[in-house]
Amino acid sequence: MTSPTASPAPLIQTEDVTVRYGRRTALEGVSLSVPAGSVYALLGRNGAGKSSLVRCLLGEQRPKTGRALLLGKDIWKQRASVLREVGVVPEEPDAPPAMTARQLAHFCSRLYPRWDAEGVSARLRRFGVPEDVPFGRLSKGQKGQVALALALAPSPRLLILDDPTLGLDPLARRTFFDELIGDLADRRTTVFMTTHDLTAVEGIADRIGILQDGRLLLDDELENLKRRFRRLSFPKTEAGVPAAVAALAPVAVAARGWSVEAVVSDYDEAWLPHETGSRVEISSLTLEEIFLALVGEAKGGTV
Amino acid sequence: MHTLRIDPADPRPIWRQIEETVRHLIASQSILPGSSVPSVRDLARELQVNPATVSKAYQRLTDAGVLTVKRGEGTFVSDAPPALGNGEREARLLREALRYASLAVTLGASQEETVETLKAAWGGLTSGDEE
Repeated sequence: MTSPTASPAPLIQTEDVTVRYGRRTALEGVSLSVPAGSVYALLGRNGAGKSSLVRCLLGEQRPKTGRALLLGKDIWKQRASVLREVGVVPEEPDAPPAMTARQLAHFCSRLYPRWDAEGVSARLRRFGVPEDVPFGRLSKGQKGQVALALALAPSPRLLILDDPTLGLDPLARRTFFDELIGDLADRRTTVFMTTHDLTAVEGIADRIGILQDGRLLLDDELENLKRRFRRLSFPKTEAGVPAAVAALAPVAVAARGWSVEAVVSDYDEAWLPHETGSRVEISSLTLEEIFLALVGEAKGGTV
Repeated sequence: MHTLRIDPADPRPIWRQIEETVRHLIASQSILPGSSVPSVRDLARELQVNPATVSKAYQRLTDAGVLTVKRGEGTFVSDAPPALGNGEREARLLREALRYASLAVTLGASQEETVETLKAAWGGLTSGDEE
């Protein structure tokens, strides 16, 4: 929920960002903004361009056109000063394999003006990550947890998480989100994350972006999405899709056994199903179902 | 029913689900006047939702007089039912009744069925059943 008292200046703003690798276009004119205090989840299938966008946000990739502003500054031009106020959990957390979590924390602490050393230890204890085992010998989940503990230690204004729970078991995922929720409760940190974990994001994110083939397909508040999207199920007949349903311009239509399901993206409570002349059941969608309707079945679906 | 759950398939925003479930728990006496409610942080972690969402629900319940914040002690279920001005109380009842009635109409329910369903729901509250 974006509170009305939140500062109007977005912590992330991309303006018409385009990235090409040779002749391949990875991102095409992506403009999005992440308001202060919000939790933004960027979704997309593998190869949709999520990683390219994260690289632009971290100043690791220069957009061919457009620019990415973090905390109001062009990240490509002011990378070092901006990243001091940004916590990052990369997709594959990397660190010198011989260094222990304790040594890593000590090393990182000197790079930041503020550093909550006790917070790091407390988090690692809660995660059950040993502080004296070399980073290279930790599991994938533990590496991610070390990365989160280190990312939160300088009390960053903005946290960027690149698919942080990829490959984690359900318990490790839960612990990870518990910790994130705790930080949100304490400090209302602004979060930008890419993820495939739609169930978790459903409760935590307040704004959703969906990338497909390098373009931003959708960028809206989750609450709005849930209000706008509906599934309309009606019996399969020779007549096909009833005119009243077709008038709502479904984003996906698929046959399911004896019935046909249409997903509409601009549902209006005033729409009356009996005007279709057939029985129409209306149901709401989870974020995962909305995502699938937009990027999955819309393409390969058959009626 | 003593627990609060949220349903991702529910079209209502999560803060509204929390708000309405707390009202339900109080109306059905599953939580009693004067008892404490979980902190924003604890409930957010339990439900795995953004604390701002829980906070919004609590804020609305506090504004409505359903919950009371005691500084330094936490949040509690108010002892007395919220004192609304008479006009306000009636307007509120009518507004919610209109919502229910419109929904019933769009579902093609008769007036009789609609009233019977309301009675059943009322009975469910006092016998402690969840719908």
